[in-house]
Amino acid sequence: MVNDRVLLLIEDNPSDIDLTKRAFDRGRIGNPLVVAEDGKEALDYLFGEGPHAGRDVSDLPALILLDLKLPKVSGFEVLRRIREDPRTRRQPVVILTSSKEQEDVAKGYDFGANGYVRKPIDSKQFAEAIAQLGLYWLVLNELPPKAKARAT
Amino acid sequence: MAAADITWPSSDSSSHAGALSFVRALLNILEDTASEKEQLHGAQSAVLNILEDTASEKEQLHGAQSAVLNILEDTASEKERLHGAQSAVLNILEDTASEKKQLHEMQSAVLNVLEDFDSEKHHLEDMKKAVVNILDDLGVEKRQLGERTVQLEAANKELEAFAYSVSHDLRAPLRGIDGWSMALLEDYAGRLDVRAQQYLDRLRSETQRMGRLIDELLQLSRVTRVEMQRQPVDLTALARSTADRLSEAHPGRQLEFLIEPGLTGIADAHLLEVALTNLLDNAVKFTGRRSHARIEVGQAKDQGEPAFFVRDNGAGFDMAYAGILFGAFQRLHKATEFPGTGIGLATVQRVIHRHGGRVWAEAQVDAGATFYFTLGALK
Repeated sequence: MVNDRVLLLIEDNPSDIDLTKRAFDRGRIGNPLVVAEDGKEALDYLFGEGPHAGRDVSDLPALILLDLKLPKVSGFEVLRRIREDPRTRRQPVVILTSSKEQEDVAKGYDFGANGYVRKPIDSKQFAEAIAQLGLYWLVLNELPPKAKARAT
Repeated sequence: MAAADITWPSSDSSSHAGALSFVRALLNILEDTASEKEQLHGAQSAVLNILEDTASEKEQLHGAQSAVLNILEDTASEKERLHGAQSAVLNILEDTASEKKQLHEMQSAVLNVLEDFDSEKHHLEDMKKAVVNILDDLGVEKRQLGERTVQLEAANKELEAFAYSVSHDLRAPLRGIDGWSMALLEDYAGRLDVRAQQYLDRLRSETQRMGRLIDELLQLSRVTRVEMQRQPVDLTALARSTADRLSEAHPGRQLEFLIEPGLTGIADAHLLEVALTNLLDNAVKFTGRRSHARIEVGQAKDQGEPAFFVRDNGAGFDMAYAGILFGAFQRLHKATEFPGTGIGLATVQRVIHRHGGRVWAEAQVDAGATFYFTLGALK
């Protein structure tokens, strides 16, 4: 069952953003893609702050693809804030990044990531990785229930 | 004498009485004469005695004379003795002088010793000062070392940050180049002739080569930076799992791995795996032109020290170039023959050197190569 929930891509490299979009298209993943180009923007989106004030924060993405090297607020900090907040702590987050430095991988899992995928340089492999991620997280995987909206 | 006492006899009546007196007187005289005779005899005895005594005196005199002679003789000997004693006294005096001299010398020596002692004391003080200075210097050295360590740590951190940045940032543009080349090939295939497509393929393969170079450089840098943890490692198992992985990765090749059982060493398991993987990768690569690749892993006893080895029956190399074998970016084969980055053996060498071991190779062109390594002694 394919759901229509948003895919949040937290990524600052325009080339990677476009290539990821392209891979989703070719992988026939139809979910709307929201892109946050730095950590601050991602947190504003998730918690309905700044330019995203008023957004229904209970409407969580089906999956967050998180890069680690980000301007302003780092990927690890974004992850820490997501896990810290009761509204987002069950949010599936997969780290999608260039490095496979052991310290990054270890820290990623320590901070509560649901997966760690290294972006391959070979674009065929990259497209394949994105398609498999979509298939697993958007089709096979049972998503956590929507968090209840806060009483206002 | 008794003659006066003799009273001669008278004619008177009394004449008888007179005669009697007379006899009595005569008897007295006789008695006296006897006594006189006795006295004479005594005198005679006395004279004889005296004479005897004189003889004895003479003898005594003679003895005395002898004695005097003896005494004189003795005196001569005494004189001699005296002379001897005098000599002795002189000698003693002489000796005493020499003793005195010796004493003086001894005194000087003692003074010298005391002086020396004093100088020793000075020396000792100087030494103490020197030691204190050394300790001070050591303190400075320690401080400098501390500063160095801080600097080194800072440099290491910088290196880590550099590697981290390379790992993240240098790969991203490559992904872009490869990705957009791929996009061209996919989306504009109909409008690109074969040559254009070949160019794009080349672009992609070069990009991927650059990607491998970056990955291997990062591995080389990581092998240097990572903290070592030595523990007993089962080299047989490690070689076996690496060999299995390589067999799977090259399904079209006939690869025979001969791995000696019971190979163990004290090493950092992760680093050793990196080294062994590189060596076995090489063995698989350079046996690429053999229909049957035979790759051995074992322990050699004939190399002066027990050494592990990885041996293959591949292309080998000319020993004239053995010196540059382990240098980074050094290659002994054309890329068209055997592709590679030239970082693999540099990584192997770095791993082995970090263990305090040695790595070397023996080869012959077209007759295979053997890479030996030791893991160093444990401190």
